[in-house]
Amino acid sequence: MTVLTTSAQPAAADTGAALRPVPWRRMVWVTWRQHRATLLSVPAVLGVVAIFLLLTGLWVHQNYAALIACHPARADACQDLRRTFNNTDWTMGNVLMILVNVVPALLGAFAGAPVLARELETGTFRFTWTQGMGRARHTAARLVLLAIPVTAAAYAFSLVFAWFLGPFVSEQGMSVFNATVFETRGISFAAWTLVAFAIGAFLGMLIRKIIPAMAVTLGAYVALAVATAAVLREHYPVSAFWPMQSFEGGWLLVLSAVLIAATVWLVRHRAA
Amino acid sequence: MTVLTMPAQPAAQDTPALRPLPWHRMAWVTWRQHRATLISVAAVFAALATFLLIAGADIHHNYAVLLACHDGCGALNAHFNETDWHLANGVNIMMDGGVAFIGAFVGAPLLAREIETGTYRYAWTQAFGRERWTIAKLVLLGTTIAVLAWALSQVFDWFFQPMVPQEDMTILTATVFDTHGIVFAFWALAAFTIGAFAGMLVRRIVPAMAITLVAYLALSLVAWDLRKYYPVAMVASIPNTPSTTTGTGGPIPFSMNAPWVLNTWNSGTTNWEKYIPVSRFWPMQLIESGWLLVLSAALVAATAWLVHRRAV
Repeated sequence: MTVLTTSAQPAAADTGAALRPVPWRRMVWVTWRQHRATLLSVPAVLGVVAIFLLLTGLWVHQNYAALIACHPARADACQDLRRTFNNTDWTMGNVLMILVNVVPALLGAFAGAPVLARELETGTFRFTWTQGMGRARHTAARLVLLAIPVTAAAYAFSLVFAWFLGPFVSEQGMSVFNATVFETRGISFAAWTLVAFAIGAFLGMLIRKIIPAMAVTLGAYVALAVATAAVLREHYPVSAFWPMQSFEGGWLLVLSAVLIAATVWLVRHRAA
Repeated sequence: MTVLTMPAQPAAQDTPALRPLPWHRMAWVTWRQHRATLISVAAVFAALATFLLIAGADIHHNYAVLLACHDGCGALNAHFNETDWHLANGVNIMMDGGVAFIGAFVGAPLLAREIETGTYRYAWTQAFGRERWTIAKLVLLGTTIAVLAWALSQVFDWFFQPMVPQEDMTILTATVFDTHGIVFAFWALAAFTIGAFAGMLVRRIVPAMAITLVAYLALSLVAWDLRKYYPVAMVASIPNTPSTTTGTGGPIPFSMNAPWVLNTWNSGTTNWEKYIPVSRFWPMQLIESGWLLVLSAALVAATAWLVHRRAV
């Protein structure tokens, strides 16, 4: 029984209830049911990596503490400690830092792109979009309800990673404004994950095939991240760390909202 | 007319009808089915190579200026180590990791797509036979990808060449070793076969892609650890110099020909060290390529076996 059936003589009590649209909260269960795999595996994978970072980070922090406690700094033993830290610890830290920079792109490609691209490629949209919840509301609710946990998981992960990277930032002469460091801490990492998800969802609806959508999402994210790091960030009207983070988080949030709105618009206007 | 029809009285010259279809027919089939993938991979590699050539010309120029400079080189040095090194380092690590994406985007969907969409019902009921079809595809695509990856790594080697001496690395440093010589092509091949195997195992595209990325990452980490056990190390006693500093009091400058020291110990009055000299680069490359090739072949065989055994 859909919400469109009405009795022959609508009683006063019936008119209101039977014609109301399906409430938004029903989408919570639908999103969970349809995206259980994503909603479980994203925190699980980030969790496993976070555990690895915690264990390795304890070891790195220990080495770093020994390094700064070593006096006099010019002595051979202390130089040896420094050299080991810079070779062994930093080789791994460097690779992890660059890999973590790629994580938002991967989350966007794996969590965002297949949401709509799969529906369209496999034809299940014919079922999903003909339910009592109209297609535009269904898509909007689904994307928002998916974006929130993915972004939250990313934020939690970035806290762990910022702690992990701490000793390297001081020891390797980097600053928190270096592109690869800035994007992995504060609220920046979560914001980049959100925008990657939104890019993925939008491209998924635009391209309508899963693998090309994932590939183009990765490419688009890399282009945006490189453009921001190389050019855009220098033109921010603020220059201290947290104001810059807030500014970047702000415009990424606005871009994500625009992309999700554009995705919903595409869903409405394409017969698919 | 399939190869199973025979005339009632088989004449001697009719026996060819019972021969299986020749392998070379799969070349056209593979091309037809995977045109989009092959063209995209070639296009992405070509774009990367173009970028490497342009950025590399810049880096080589900066490095030449740096080498020619004898006085007041601090600013040049700082700029090279900041801008150029960050770019080169980033690209190096991206290439190292990017190989995993070849496995995920080319290898994983190969079989996972057929099964998830149901087109295997058509592809595997042709005259060619499903196992031969799988093997032919994997070998053809794997070889093409390996060749393209090798070409890209040659361009990258040229691009990265000033960084090795400048940034205190040697050709045996993990991330440098991965992208030089022939090893890069074999990593691409391994990533592709891991992807294909994961695709046939899991039979769903997106999970297979994720598993491929994770499996490749795990394999790289294992390989990095494994390298110190390659049977190419040498042991020698270190001369007992009173200190390791030069006359001016600073540390010995690091040379790009410095050996990779694995272990040092002393027995009695002699200090020993176990190390791998830079000259062992090619033996190490061949060892690594060898086991990667064996792994890839094993995965191709395992994939074909899965195709054979599963009714799907």
